[in-house]
Amino acid sequence: MTATLRRAESPTPRTAPPAPRARGLSLKRRDALAAYGFLTPWFLGLFFITIGPILASLYFSFTDYSLLGDPQWVGLDNYREMIGDPRLHSSLLVTFQYVFVSVPLQLGLALALAMILDRGVRGLPLYRSVYYLPSLLGASVAIAVLWRQIFGANGLINQVLGYFGIEGAGWVSHPDYALGTLIVLNVWTFGAPMVIFLAGLRQIPAMYYEAASVDGAGPVRRFFSVTIPLLTPIIFFNLVLQMINAFQTFTQAFIVSSGSGGPSDSTLFYTLYLYQQGFGSFEMGYASALAWLLLVVIGAFTVLNFVAARYWVFYGD
Amino acid sequence: MRSESPRGPRGRYRAHRGAIAPVAAVAALIVMASGCGGGDDGTVELRFSWWGPDGRHQITQEVIDLFEEKHPEITIEGDYTDWDSYWDRLATSSSANDAPDVIQHDEQYLRDYAGRDALLNLDEYSDQLDVSEVDELVRGTGELEGGRYAVPSGVNAFVIIADPQAFEEAGVEMPDDSSWTWQDYVDIAAEVSEESDGELVGAQNNSFNTAGFEIFARQNGESLYTEDGELGFSPSTMERWWDYTVQLQEEDAEPSPAESIERDADGPDRSVLATNDGAMAGFWTNQVGDLANTADRELEILRFPGETEFENPGTFFKPAMHWTVSADTEHPEEAATFVDFLVNDPEAAELMLADRGIPVNTGVREQIYDDLPEADAKGADFLSEIEDDVLPADPPPPQGAGEVVDIVKRINEDVLYGENTPEEAANRFVEEAEAAIED
Repeated sequence: MTATLRRAESPTPRTAPPAPRARGLSLKRRDALAAYGFLTPWFLGLFFITIGPILASLYFSFTDYSLLGDPQWVGLDNYREMIGDPRLHSSLLVTFQYVFVSVPLQLGLALALAMILDRGVRGLPLYRSVYYLPSLLGASVAIAVLWRQIFGANGLINQVLGYFGIEGAGWVSHPDYALGTLIVLNVWTFGAPMVIFLAGLRQIPAMYYEAASVDGAGPVRRFFSVTIPLLTPIIFFNLVLQMINAFQTFTQAFIVSSGSGGPSDSTLFYTLYLYQQGFGSFEMGYASALAWLLLVVIGAFTVLNFVAARYWVFYGD
Repeated sequence: MRSESPRGPRGRYRAHRGAIAPVAAVAALIVMASGCGGGDDGTVELRFSWWGPDGRHQITQEVIDLFEEKHPEITIEGDYTDWDSYWDRLATSSSANDAPDVIQHDEQYLRDYAGRDALLNLDEYSDQLDVSEVDELVRGTGELEGGRYAVPSGVNAFVIIADPQAFEEAGVEMPDDSSWTWQDYVDIAAEVSEESDGELVGAQNNSFNTAGFEIFARQNGESLYTEDGELGFSPSTMERWWDYTVQLQEEDAEPSPAESIERDADGPDRSVLATNDGAMAGFWTNQVGDLANTADRELEILRFPGETEFENPGTFFKPAMHWTVSADTEHPEEAATFVDFLVNDPEAAELMLADRGIPVNTGVREQIYDDLPEADAKGADFLSEIEDDVLPADPPPPQGAGEVVDIVKRINEDVLYGENTPEEAANRFVEEAEAAIED
């Protein structure tokens, strides 16, 4: 910020005679100053609420910090401890399962719905909004509480199953099903990628389809040879975004398991474990180290995505 | 576009002012935000935090109003939430040096805070805070190394609460709590489930927390924690305890694992007693009033099974909660005055009654006895009835005991689902709990 200011300032020495050209520059400078003035709140937020805490957590990750006492420097101990931490390993496993199952399912559903809506359904804006709604609500506490009730041992789902004589399981309280229930919850929030897919589908020129039809391509062929290739940039965008989101899932697991990650750690998401370490066990140093590991993991997968994208994303040139 | 700008030095000045205005506005906001909460008119403002159900929030507000009436120079701002979020909030606000002045605390977290110098040593404020009338059985519970950091709010005991109507519906006789064994408990619970054709369950699962086990360990001449803050029991004792859980599950005396987990997480208001779905559950005596209200039934308090089975009776008096003062408070004297009011004022006790346990001030306890609602009076009677049999309470749990709360929950889930045998569970508990309290 200061560097830019100085650069704007330097061509016009303070004592410079008011030549027409210099006056123009000083106006420019005024505008720049005003712009930075109005940006100040954002800069304050950036430095104090984002960058400051990020750097603080990097420092804490090398300390033993109990949250109530002062941090003690321990070097790489926290990172070494991760190697032999079974709950960390199981939380990574849970998170990977969640990401790699729920994201493809969610994108698949989003694309399918977008294709249907793209065929020109009457009342499209209404449908678009209705399907988008879960994306807005999905990560909220209220919905998680609701799901807990619906999928409870005596909840709505099991009552309906009961009418058909099927004995339902404890969808949120059995270790074999709890993660699946959360995956369903995530898939249900397909609205955001769907809206983006819909916009992408609208971008595909109709002439390609017409040309393909003339050449005798059926709907399936048209889908795989026209729609998919031209949609790959959008698919890629959604994939990266949803993967990063899924890695950071917290609220749903926190509410549905009452913060325990249970039953039997089956919904112990990475972020939930991080939270437990920091605020439950007062191991803020270790929790900070966990946060940095998460950053590395997400970063690695994002880089991997971009590298892989070279081989399957088609930008039409 | 820029033509409206005046020329010359004046123009430049204007532009500067334009740039500075938003900065100044933000600065002003920050100053305002950090500056509020001060008492310019000579009054002292204290923040007071507690957890609890809705009923407690109302009662506590009335207590605050009464205090402010008697001490016009002090105003109190209430800060309340439910149990789960309470500890997250307290931990974050404490680390930000923004802890409430007066804090309702729990035994399991007491050493975590006192040991890290987050609580005020109340010995230094004995002019304001008088603890001479506090019941001797629990007076020591707020004393940690080097001083008094907490005053108990009331006395509690962990008990079996039973629903006589459920027993009647199942056609099973109420147990005789003066002599029943743990095996009797399992058998009776199984009988209720069976006789009611599954309409009712005998008991709610009781091994999600350590209170029941603590009684069991004391009955066997052991304890959950020792004076030195280590584990005070042998793994085989805990194995036997979890063995009863397995038996209760096998005989359908308890709800299914899934339902047990959900009922535990949903708290007393969704317990089998509250929803009239079961006959027995383990709770603290101060919870019986709320339970009876939710259940809309008369409930009975029973002694834990096994009190005459082994070496000792195991039931113990526990301080229901503790009053503490933050070490960061700017007004320690006023905070101590408020704690004194909470502990010793008869009118405050008349409002709170048994909600935070039977009052620890023995004089006050006598005074409010006649005002207690029926269920709470039963609790008070029960406590005075067992008083002679009870051995002194164990010392406050060590640092890290808050983590044990989660550990036992996790292991119990695995026991319910058969992932861990009682033996595995006991060894796992010892291993994980030791790691937690050694940190």
